[in-house]
Amino acid sequence: MTMRLRIRHIAAGVIVASVLVVASARAEDKTIKIGALLPISGPGSYFGAQDKQGIELALEQINKTGVNGRKLEVRYEDSGCSPLPATQAAKRLIEQYKPDVVIGEECSDATLAIMPLMEEANVPLLNAGSSSIKITEPGNPWTFRIMPNEVMQGVDIATNAYKRLNARTAVLLYENTNAGIGNAKVFNETFTKLGGKILADIGFGRDVNDFTSIATRIAGLGAVDVIPTYTLEGQGLKITQALAQAGVTKGGGGNAIQLGTIWLPFGFEQKAGKAALGYIRIVQFDPTDQRPAVRDFIAAFKAKYNQEPTHLHAHAYDQITLIADAIKRGASDPKSIRDALAATKNFSGVTGSAEFDKTNQNVKMDTVHYMETQPDLSWKALKWN
Amino acid sequence: MTVVLQQGINGIVLGSLYVLVALGLTLVYGVLVQINFAHADIVTLGAFSAYFFMHGLGGGYIPSIAVALLVGGILGWLMNAAIFAPLREKGSELLPLIATIGVSVMMENAMLAWFGPIPYAFDSPYSNHVMRLGGTFITLQNALIIAVSAATIALLYAFMKFTFLGKALRAVAQDRETAGLMGINPNQLVMLTFVIASALAGMAGAMLGPVLVLTPFAGTSVIVKAFAIVIIGGFGNVEGTILAGLVVGLIESYTTQYLGPGMIDIVVFVLLLLMLAVRPTGLIAERREENV
Amino acid sequence: MLSRRAAYLCATLTIAVLPLVFPDAYWRTNLIVCALNVMLAIGLDFVLGYAGQLNLGQSAFYGLGAYASTLLIMRLGLPFWVAFAAAVAFAGLAGIVLALFAMRLRGHYLAIASLGFAVITYQILLNWISLTQGPLGIYAIPPPPTLALPGLPPIGFRNLANLFYLVAGFALLSYLLLDQLIRSPIGETLTAIREDEVSAAALGINCAAWKVFAFGVGSAVAGAAGCFYAAFVGTLVPDAFFITESFTILAMVVVGGTGTLIGPVWGAILLTVLPELLRGIGDLRLVVYGVALTLVVLFIPGGLAQAARLALARLRRAEAP
Repeated sequence: MTMRLRIRHIAAGVIVASVLVVASARAEDKTIKIGALLPISGPGSYFGAQDKQGIELALEQINKTGVNGRKLEVRYEDSGCSPLPATQAAKRLIEQYKPDVVIGEECSDATLAIMPLMEEANVPLLNAGSSSIKITEPGNPWTFRIMPNEVMQGVDIATNAYKRLNARTAVLLYENTNAGIGNAKVFNETFTKLGGKILADIGFGRDVNDFTSIATRIAGLGAVDVIPTYTLEGQGLKITQALAQAGVTKGGGGNAIQLGTIWLPFGFEQKAGKAALGYIRIVQFDPTDQRPAVRDFIAAFKAKYNQEPTHLHAHAYDQITLIADAIKRGASDPKSIRDALAATKNFSGVTGSAEFDKTNQNVKMDTVHYMETQPDLSWKALKWN
Repeated sequence: MTVVLQQGINGIVLGSLYVLVALGLTLVYGVLVQINFAHADIVTLGAFSAYFFMHGLGGGYIPSIAVALLVGGILGWLMNAAIFAPLREKGSELLPLIATIGVSVMMENAMLAWFGPIPYAFDSPYSNHVMRLGGTFITLQNALIIAVSAATIALLYAFMKFTFLGKALRAVAQDRETAGLMGINPNQLVMLTFVIASALAGMAGAMLGPVLVLTPFAGTSVIVKAFAIVIIGGFGNVEGTILAGLVVGLIESYTTQYLGPGMIDIVVFVLLLLMLAVRPTGLIAERREENV
Repeated sequence: MLSRRAAYLCATLTIAVLPLVFPDAYWRTNLIVCALNVMLAIGLDFVLGYAGQLNLGQSAFYGLGAYASTLLIMRLGLPFWVAFAAAVAFAGLAGIVLALFAMRLRGHYLAIASLGFAVITYQILLNWISLTQGPLGIYAIPPPPTLALPGLPPIGFRNLANLFYLVAGFALLSYLLLDQLIRSPIGETLTAIREDEVSAAALGINCAAWKVFAFGVGSAVAGAAGCFYAAFVGTLVPDAFFITESFTILAMVVVGGTGTLIGPVWGAILLTVLPELLRGIGDLRLVVYGVALTLVVLFIPGGLAQAARLALARLRRAEAP
């Protein structure tokens, strides 16, 4: 063979080989499409904004190397924290983006509305924000929840209040929403069954601003041991301050201890001041946790956003890393992701570990962390779980 | 019984709060016969102005109230110039109201896009300072609200009764054409009314910022009750508004004590509807009767 | 201009074709929401544009219709169409009650009274938990039952296209009904009341009775929309009927054009579709909503209907020598 012909053969061979290499690399380079249904507008946008930050951090870290040769991609749709906008956003997401897995929503009403749509489309839904028991109790095979539901939290804190704090009287304070009412009910039932007494059951709307009247009423009830409080940060702050002003809680010279299980991020104490003394709450993210994964997460978060992460950030982060874990175990499309999620064992996120029972509820109690506010406003972890 | 007394004090604080917001509404209605739905958003924007003056620029609390007053006044000037004045030419009764609904939606969502939905913790130097007497307590901020409310009412009253401008305003409220014939420029006075009312709203925002949960929707939590107060007291009637404001505040605290906070809106609005059925001119009979 | 019959034929054809143009679930959902909003808007327009009463309580009638029908179906087991009829009657009755109550009021007083009514209704829906479940919500509400017409395959309403036909069909029917009322002497009576109530009374018109009538009709239509809303979304929470909903419907009527019946139809469609198209810009889309309403009121108070008329007039002037 002449030299020229040989070179042509070699050149052809190199071209064919490189085309094959590129082609096979492309075939491997499939992105996993993650849909995110979060409230981005309206009063619930509080949640969506923080979730997005947590998600972006996780994506940044994971996509540096990808998982099993795949990258993760997220598309956000505004579900507005309520059934109709959530339904519209979900349909848009499923029709136009065709996700492999969806995370969302934050508000129980919205989550309940989109669950049937996910089931119909055979796309797994991973939830980390809604506490209503109705989300997992019926046993929807396509819905997973990593955060402890209202029953898990409520029974645990009521029992601990009775046994570890020796509380015998309580006043329930809650916002008039699905989550508030549900949580208060569970506490009520557990506490009374153990022998405790509920002195008052006070629900309030999301538009109440001044809690002095409520605090006054509680002050007039006599000796109160614990005040389970279920509300968001904005109103929670006012309540804590009012209770201290009325001399009811420890922060105001009284004896009652406020208990909480939802949505009061780290940083609350700095805003509430002395009034928050003695507050005991369940948090889904313990910033004093010494596990290396948590320390790394906090450091990375502070480096990227220049603020301390809240449980919302942590939950969003864990949702992405859990999905990545499922992909690592070989999942690559909606059905296999669903199966991999259901089979999750030995997953440790920054909020705790994950293992799902038959109703796809995460039953690991190490996601339930107890914190007590110290006089210097720092959090002390109570090792109750 | 200290609880009853304390709830009475709480009620007066709440009432003063509502009066601060409702005064501007009633002033505008008295002179222009117009309802400004965006009034609540001026309150909210006043609160945010005060907040950023304090926390962004490091200013003091009292100066921040002045800042909020200024911001409110400017907004009032803009709204009148852009919306009420042009529509007044057209003589429609309902169009300006609808326009202000549009402005309100616009402002709320602009604030949401700008400030975000997460509540801001607006603390004045007085919000956590508690004064105690006997078995009762009141925070310094709340005491300040009562004091400022009372002072504003007194000043407004004096203004309306004793100054030339005040008398001119009352003239325009009674009969615009005749007032015009008397050499008073009604348009300028209308503008003045608007600016004063909106400045009051801005100031109310600065006073209430530490008390309310400060989000772009803070004003709306108060405004619906403010409307109820303005009607119960009698549209355009300052004394009526004050009385109604205090009554609603007291209803709120006592309802919380004996029934529960969820019942507050129902009680207040049933009272509103009863007033409308029985005595639409309000608690204190008022001169304007054409809408009855 | 098209004759009325031709216009109705056009409308029917458009309704028939729309789901075929939009075969995906997302846009079909939007079409259904459009149809619901059209019903709400023309109902309000009847009261506001023709009888001249500023009713800010439309959200209450919407909610009452939704809750009444849902509770009748799920608690008492009544068949859908029976519950529908009962709920529509209930909403209409509520409208009549409000009107009777507000009989002596006009203008701003009526507006605030109707707002007060809306607030009270919302609070009752929210707080009477044993009846309405309040914020806990009612879930798994079934769609209207499958229709089995002779000679045709059964029409199931889980199918969005079919559901759209049903709701749009009712919207068209409501429009027809209101149109007939307006063209009859009743319409003239209402217009007389709107223009000058005192003179109308001097002519011997019983203004109070007619106002009550207008309210009843407007609220009944809203109630019907409510029944379909519940069956369509499948989930019912009081927050869907907060007073801001009244403002949204008002915006649709005003932007469309208060003095006409077709105006609010366009207003409803525009203000339903616009926020969806603007989803890309996130929070700012609701700002655009407010801006649109304000600008329309300031510059084209007659809304889209007026704008269309002006444009047509200009075209005709351009054609004529």
